[in-house]
Amino acid sequence: MIRLLRSVSVRLALGYGAIFILSSFLLVGALWWRTAAYLDREVDAVILADAQAVGDRLHDFGLIGALETVRDRVAAESDEHAIYLLADPGLHALAGNLNAWPAQIAGGPGWYEIGLARNGKLHATRMIYAALPGGYRLLVGRDVQDRVAIRGTILGGLGWAVVIAILLAIGGGLLIRRAVLRQVEAINRATAAIVRGDLARRLPTRDSTDEFDQLSQTINGMLGQIQILIEGVRNASNTVAHDLRTPLAELRNRLEELLRRRPPPEEAWTEVQGAVGDLDRVIGVFNALLRLADIDSGARLSGFRAVRLDTVAGEVAELYGPVAEAKGSDLAFDPPSDAVTVQGDPDLLAQAISNLVDNAVKFTPAGGRVALAVTRDADGGAKVRVTDSGPGIADSEKAEVVRRFYRGDAGKGKSGVGLGLSVVAAVAKLHGGRLEFADGNPGLVATLILPATTAPGALPGPAS
Amino acid sequence: MKILVVEDNERVAQFVTKGLREAGHAVDHAATGRDGMFLAASEKYDVIVMDRMLPGGIDGLAIVETLRKTGNKTPILILSALAEVDDRIRGLRAGGDDYLTKPFAFGELAARLDALARRSQGTDPNAALEVADLKMDLLAHRVSRGGTPILLKPREFALLEFMMRHAGQVVTRTMLLEHVWEYHFDPQTNVVDVHISKLRQKIDAGFSPALLQTVRGVGYRLGAE
Repeated sequence: MIRLLRSVSVRLALGYGAIFILSSFLLVGALWWRTAAYLDREVDAVILADAQAVGDRLHDFGLIGALETVRDRVAAESDEHAIYLLADPGLHALAGNLNAWPAQIAGGPGWYEIGLARNGKLHATRMIYAALPGGYRLLVGRDVQDRVAIRGTILGGLGWAVVIAILLAIGGGLLIRRAVLRQVEAINRATAAIVRGDLARRLPTRDSTDEFDQLSQTINGMLGQIQILIEGVRNASNTVAHDLRTPLAELRNRLEELLRRRPPPEEAWTEVQGAVGDLDRVIGVFNALLRLADIDSGARLSGFRAVRLDTVAGEVAELYGPVAEAKGSDLAFDPPSDAVTVQGDPDLLAQAISNLVDNAVKFTPAGGRVALAVTRDADGGAKVRVTDSGPGIADSEKAEVVRRFYRGDAGKGKSGVGLGLSVVAAVAKLHGGRLEFADGNPGLVATLILPATTAPGALPGPAS
Repeated sequence: MKILVVEDNERVAQFVTKGLREAGHAVDHAATGRDGMFLAASEKYDVIVMDRMLPGGIDGLAIVETLRKTGNKTPILILSALAEVDDRIRGLRAGGDDYLTKPFAFGELAARLDALARRSQGTDPNAALEVADLKMDLLAHRVSRGGTPILLKPREFALLEFMMRHAGQVVTRTMLLEHVWEYHFDPQTNVVDVHISKLRQKIDAGFSPALLQTVRGVGYRLGAE
């Protein structure tokens, strides 16, 4: 039972049933109060008024007045249900339409509900027994046999209403439980399959706006993201293994050979120098990976502030100007006429732009041209565009180049660990933007697109 | 210089203390936070190397904070295996003066310690700087060598200013990136080398002796040998 109560659907159904029954009872109660109970109150009021009138006559005109009133009322026969009896202290009937003092009224003054034989039938009556001055006793009442019948009918009707309400509550509750269960079960089955490893599985959706469907759609979005991440991890671990194993293998070989050959000191020092260089490459890969992890974690969001993107880009251009010059290439920065401000991490934005420019300069042959431009979009977003006159990227490779450790054909033999564009893409994502590549005919146009300035807290997290 | 090294890893501690002693420094070593705290509070050091993660769950930062609260102003270099930028900022906020992540090259550590100790001697921001016959007027933003004016771009000026303030010391590429460009990342290409060689052309070409030296595997040094 307790286990059953833990089920949301059961609790929902029970709650629904309880509320339905409670509201039905309230409705029935109100009906009763307005009908049967109302009739009772009316009768009581009439009886009380009658008794009051007789009492008043006794007070004003003495016993004669009271007797007259009772006789008048009986004679008038204005109300066939009316019952009057005025008796002396010895309970002998003096006036009224009852032959004798009813034996059932034996206690003190007050309200009585008794059965009286009238016209040969037992009728339900309601009476008030009042003690008058001088020891006289007054009995005023009404034959309520009809009312009792009406009351019974109303009560019966209300009783049936309650029974129907309870049945409806149970039925409705069961229906609700089934509807909820069906939706939840569908989600449960699909997620269980996903947990077992079927990562391509998605929850069924019906393109409606109901909450369960929206929940399913959100979960599907999340599953898509998880799948991308898992594939990313799988890819990364393969490439990490490759890109770290290679320099580590070289290092190991170098040291082992040194041990085996035991060359003269001068030569040994050169080898050790080379070994330190190998290690530095490994450390470089580690640092780049840690930085990527740091960016991906979103921890940097807390350091977001207003950044002059044009200034950051200008400084990067100035940093790389001499590098391009040394290659005989030209690096041009086209500053925007107005300040371009974005919310972001200045160091990360500088690194992203620096990586784009670094790549452009690296891949542009001597005598080539690299152009860096910052523009403000009409929608408030900002763009950093790096155009080069290098070999460009084939369409088939455009999505691949931001993958961790990816090296295009053009990149083979160039320095770097193959994480530069991954960092740019990660920085773009952290800032809610993206990195796009287009053909420059010739060359490549890399565009870092940043969204319109928003409050730092409103920026989407890395996993959005 | 008198240097205190607070580091629990025996190999790292030995590597650092041995290297520093060979460079002519007096080095004390503490393997626990308690010993480190005691030595730092009782002795006078020129600079302290503080590991972040010490045995017994003591955070080196807590020691740095305590030292600063007691008015100890000895320059402190924090050594950490945690590389996240956030962590670096926390280290500096706790009162550290510089931050170096493991693994590190000994040359990098030695250069940074040199710079820290020298900085604590104080430098007048408005003073004219002079190295051999190379003169820098910080107020007028002018540089000349042997009386011949040299035209420098703003960044070249900042680069030379940093080199002159640390004349005779080795400065590393990372130090230059951090202080001259304020970048805390490694550009993929060795851009600093290119800037240094441009600067060298301006201040050394046609003059003798050459002032801007390359220290192999570590960085650069400004000064007549």
